[in-house]
Amino acid sequence: MRDKVTSLAQAVSGVKDGDIVALGGNTLHRGPCAAVHELVRQGRRGLEIVKTAGAYDVDLLCATGVAGAVSAGFVGFETPFGMAPGYRRAVESGTVEAKEHACYTVIAGLRAAIQGVPFMPVAGMLGSHVLAVRGFKTIADPYTGAEVVAAPALIPDVAFIHVQEADAEGNGRIIGTRFEDVLMAKAARRVVITAERIVDGETFEAAPETVAIPGFMVDAVVEAPRGAWPCSCAGLYGYDEEYLAAYVTASRDPADLARFVETHVLVPETSAVSA
Amino acid sequence: MTTGGRETAVGPMEPAGGYPFGPAEMMAVALARLIRDGETVFHGIASPLPMVAILLAQRLHAPNCVYLGIAGGVDPRPDTLPVSTVGPELLVGTRSLVTLTDLFDLAARGRLDTAFLSGAQIDVTGRINLSVIGDFARPKVRLPGGAGSAALMPSARRTILWRTKHDRRAFVEHLDFVTAAGNVDRVVTPLCLFCRVHGRLQVESIHPGVSLENLVAATGFGIEVGPETPVTPPPTAQELALLADVDPDGVRRSEFSSSSVGGG
Repeated sequence: MRDKVTSLAQAVSGVKDGDIVALGGNTLHRGPCAAVHELVRQGRRGLEIVKTAGAYDVDLLCATGVAGAVSAGFVGFETPFGMAPGYRRAVESGTVEAKEHACYTVIAGLRAAIQGVPFMPVAGMLGSHVLAVRGFKTIADPYTGAEVVAAPALIPDVAFIHVQEADAEGNGRIIGTRFEDVLMAKAARRVVITAERIVDGETFEAAPETVAIPGFMVDAVVEAPRGAWPCSCAGLYGYDEEYLAAYVTASRDPADLARFVETHVLVPETSAVSA
Repeated sequence: MTTGGRETAVGPMEPAGGYPFGPAEMMAVALARLIRDGETVFHGIASPLPMVAILLAQRLHAPNCVYLGIAGGVDPRPDTLPVSTVGPELLVGTRSLVTLTDLFDLAARGRLDTAFLSGAQIDVTGRINLSVIGDFARPKVRLPGGAGSAALMPSARRTILWRTKHDRRAFVEHLDFVTAAGNVDRVVTPLCLFCRVHGRLQVESIHPGVSLENLVAATGFGIEVGPETPVTPPPTAQELALLADVDPDGVRRSEFSSSSVGGG
């Protein structure tokens, strides 16, 4: 068994400018935010972010110039905090390309990647302008001739997945909903697991079916307590309402946002232990 | 309240039973009444009103409807209702878990009866825009995106739309962008209930306290209404009592004060 435990800085340093980066979790829940903060600190540029539905993670990467494109079905802070101001400003000013998906075409693209095929037929979608603006093609079913949308394979260069428990090899246990994390881990060229705590892998042997992500598919493991913060992490903590409200307010203005990022993200001790 | 017909928005009123109701209560009850017993229903992100409506319907006339949420729960019995409808609170009481992939797959093979979706803009055919105002590549307003709607609207057996703002910016003659199109059955707003007949939205009933003039003025596409237009039956005392029990913290009202647009 390989010990893949490393530091957050080391794990994130493998990301190259322009990489396609998949982020686990969904909206305000179990996003890999410690890794996202480290991407901001290391000043990556031009990343294409892949996620079905993002919030703070995607907004912050857009607002700080780390993201150059977003392939997602939804970017917003849901009802508690509303629209995503940093994402909005970046797309409206042309610094970020919104590669709009339906959540299902993100999933279909990941499935194509997992199965090693160039595209995946996907039900629905007809009648949506998303097909035209994204250049998603339809194909004829070779057996019946029926028209079906073909979502192109979506192969992340790296996937960041935050889990409640992992061992040193990268076997990852997710408490509660897994979202698209398992698909991302299988589709990506490289997988980084951040874990609330690293445990002895022997403890997984009694119930290996509770392990969501097989360790042999994982490249790096980082211990990151509160690593989903300010997102929720099921069973451990809820989303940080006060912080997210303050972030969304700051994100409306580039100068306020720069100060906010300076205080809360660029200083590693703050983001690691805050709240 | 920020509905288009501001001064004529629903309630507050004092119906039988002494429970006052406003637009959130009227909408939650109207949505709940549309859910059929035994059907399989889904809501996605940013969907407090459908969450409340499904839980209410299960307590009223639809105890056997199967409630599937994006949080992954199956018939959850939450202790407290989250404002984020992806929250782990919606796993309490679930006996199995489904992924978002499972839910889309279910719809794709024709086994999802009803999906609750919304749109920043809705046109007379029930198509929605959750993508952009203005040009797609350089939009005036970049909206959150359609989430699951482009896949679900054509593949769920029916879609029920809801929108907490009913004004001419929301109910439009022309969409800036068609995010999704498909099997829309009903649209619930703070002012009325639309049904889709021969591909076009028609006013099925107008909510109590809303004037015909204001409904017409708040709707950007042509509607035919008159004195014969039925009035939505106001929430009954039983409906309001169970609503208060299901949602004691008033999460149903959260969408009315948020810049968020209901998701899918």
